Amino acid sequence: MKSLSLYQERDSIIHEIEPINKLLYILTTILIMIIVPSIKCAVLCMIISLMLLLKANVIKKVLPIINFSFIILISIIIIQGLFNINNKTVLFNIGKIKFYKEGMMYSALIVIRVINILCAFALLVLTTKPSDLIEDLVRRGLSPKIGYVLSSVLQIIPQMTSTMGTIMDAQRSRGLETEGKLINRIKAFFPLIGPVVMNSLIATRERAMALEIRAFSSKNKKTFLNETKSTKLDSSLKYIFIAAVILSIIWRAAIWTK
Amino acid sequence: MSIIEINNLHFSYTKDEEILKGINLIFDEKSTAIIGQNGAGKTTFVKLLKGLLKPTWGDVIIDGKNTKEYTVANLAPTIGLVFQNPNDQIFKNNVLSEVMFGPLNIGMDESKAKDSALKALKMVGLEEKINDNPYDLTLSERKLISIASIVAMNTKIIILDEPTIAQDYISKEKIKDIILKLKSQGKLVITITHDMDFVAETFERTLVFCEGRVLLDGKTDYVFMQDEELKKAHLEPPYAAQLCRKLNSDKIYITVEEFIKANKR
Amino acid sequence: MDKIVVENLKYKYPLTDKLVLNDISFKIEKGQFIGIIGQNGAGKSTLCQAITGLVPLFFKGAYGGRVLVDGIEVAKSNISDISLKVGMVFQNPFTQVTGSKLTVYEEVAFGLENIGLNREEMKNRIDEALNLLGIYRFKDRNPFDLSGGQMQRLAIAGIIAMQPDVIILDEPTSQLDPQGSEEVFKAVWDLKKRGITIIMVEHKMEKIAEYSDKVLLMHDGKVIDFDTPEKIFSRDDLMQYGVIEPAYTRICKAFDIKDSGLYPVTLDRACEMVVKYNEHN
Repeated sequence: MKSLSLYQERDSIIHEIEPINKLLYILTTILIMIIVPSIKCAVLCMIISLMLLLKANVIKKVLPIINFSFIILISIIIIQGLFNINNKTVLFNIGKIKFYKEGMMYSALIVIRVINILCAFALLVLTTKPSDLIEDLVRRGLSPKIGYVLSSVLQIIPQMTSTMGTIMDAQRSRGLETEGKLINRIKAFFPLIGPVVMNSLIATRERAMALEIRAFSSKNKKTFLNETKSTKLDSSLKYIFIAAVILSIIWRAAIWTK
Repeated sequence: MSIIEINNLHFSYTKDEEILKGINLIFDEKSTAIIGQNGAGKTTFVKLLKGLLKPTWGDVIIDGKNTKEYTVANLAPTIGLVFQNPNDQIFKNNVLSEVMFGPLNIGMDESKAKDSALKALKMVGLEEKINDNPYDLTLSERKLISIASIVAMNTKIIILDEPTIAQDYISKEKIKDIILKLKSQGKLVITITHDMDFVAETFERTLVFCEGRVLLDGKTDYVFMQDEELKKAHLEPPYAAQLCRKLNSDKIYITVEEFIKANKR
Repeated sequence: MDKIVVENLKYKYPLTDKLVLNDISFKIEKGQFIGIIGQNGAGKSTLCQAITGLVPLFFKGAYGGRVLVDGIEVAKSNISDISLKVGMVFQNPFTQVTGSKLTVYEEVAFGLENIGLNREEMKNRIDEALNLLGIYRFKDRNPFDLSGGQMQRLAIAGIIAMQPDVIILDEPTSQLDPQGSEEVFKAVWDLKKRGITIIMVEHKMEKIAEYSDKVLLMHDGKVIDFDTPEKIFSRDDLMQYGVIEPAYTRICKAFDIKDSGLYPVTLDRACEMVVKYNEHN
């Protein structure tokens, strides 16, 4: 079954942690990096994230995610290395092109921060089923309707792509060229998008009726089939996050008052 | 020359699961029904005829053209396929231009396409609704539009995928008429369907697909007498034939009309 | 007491002029199997939606008369409350899958979570519904990975778990292959045997004749007749309403094989009467 999810099935303690705590982890790590803008702190955070990913046994899956942003990261390094306004000290040169230490240091900080944020997000998406995350949020007060929309999109979009395939076949059967020259592709736009829109409108209306029949708009307080597995670790994690943020604020304040 | 020739056709979407497992068939002008359970490979088979899929092994020759060597668009003037759900194709805001879309694509000029479309719409009985928006019409009428839009392309071969799904008695009769008319114009009509009575009343030849193979092939009344094989394919004979069996009669009639005609003295 | 009472029901969709339901009245007793027949556009689906309250609570429009389920007027209630009494299964199994659940088991839970059932009760009902529909073995599968027939039985299980005592099925087998439809018919028959009132719209007249206690014949928004299958299919004006008799009835009509003015409508009964007829002639 195709589903829009990067979730990796593993047996690890990280997988057991409540989804909300993984969201809080992302928040905490971003906050700390803002409060303490030093490269040492960013590296420390990154090491922690990488260790957690290693613990969750999903570290290999992180590489494609980082690769995805690789080109942007490289261009940041080059641009900052060449043109940063504070550039003074030449670090090395390739032919006539000079790379400066200040710019390189600055870009290193950005790159490490970006990688760290990516890792923190990866920790969430690789170790949490999207449906679990959404259910967790609904339990904590997110509107069940919004929750439904979020979780159904993940499954219904892959289903729509298969409808799209049928529509493409139906129009090709009527002699429509969908490949080759750009002009062909542009011409094919309406014959393809028209039925897609109509089909999803019809499907949406039918599904809306089916949901109503299953008490979707019920005023009763919603219950959940799955039990929450909130552990001691989960509750202590929240304090750890708060403590980490407070500590970093104290550190920052100490620097200022000096 | 046969219109369609299929030699040792194999097909699979993925390596581990073969959908069609060696099919050899020849189609002449006899109208043909393809029946069988979902998953037996019927839809995959007609997609291969249409050139939407290419064989993993073996050949499909449509009117002398090997589908491997032609694009879907190249084959479109020879073989037409009406999809199950008319909503998968309709996008124009009036019936006539919807039906003209195919003919224009295969290179007919404006006036010829219009001519052909009007003829097709007359055949399906929608000549009075040519300026209507297709989505103001009923699902049954939209089904007829989708049939007309293929008929208008004037192809030698027309395939219908489940034309009777969700249709009432009157619409089914209409579709039966259209098939008989097409047949009388010398076209090869091939239809996938689950409706055994519709098959018995409409088609000369019937193919039974089962697990990627052709289990039965022959004249429709012959096929519906093969109780054992039908059971294997999870199919039941038409109602008239069921009554004949239950009455232990020597002769099996597959349609109500034949039963009545034969027994009335 | 009558389970469902429909009185002078009239309805018109918004922005249209035509009455889709035009002065409809009938009563259904508890535990009956009611077949609804008529050509496309006769108003069958709209009538079903009116019994569940989707008309006029979901689809607005001009509405007159009343529909009572267990004495409660649906138009003055709300769909969630009615769904505990009346469930509905639609034509297309695919659009009845919520899409928000990853397993068959969780899918059935959807409605139960909405009505706020406790976990124990929920699990009992899900197990029961899945077993009843014969799909317990698929409980850990993704709903979208089921075949059409299995998916349609899942839709019924989702409704059954809500424990309504009326289930309406609107052409539940039209998208299915013969085996898939047989699975669905069997499942529905089991529900009827448990005392659930069944209302089914269906084009396969042989099936309607086999299962129904009474048949409601509709045409152009009106009820033409509401009677036993034998009486309905013995009428000689069915063609006028775009309806045809079961194959067996057509054969017996051709030879005028009848018993106290009524033609047989099922295979067994037709066979019996043909044999008797042959002995006499």
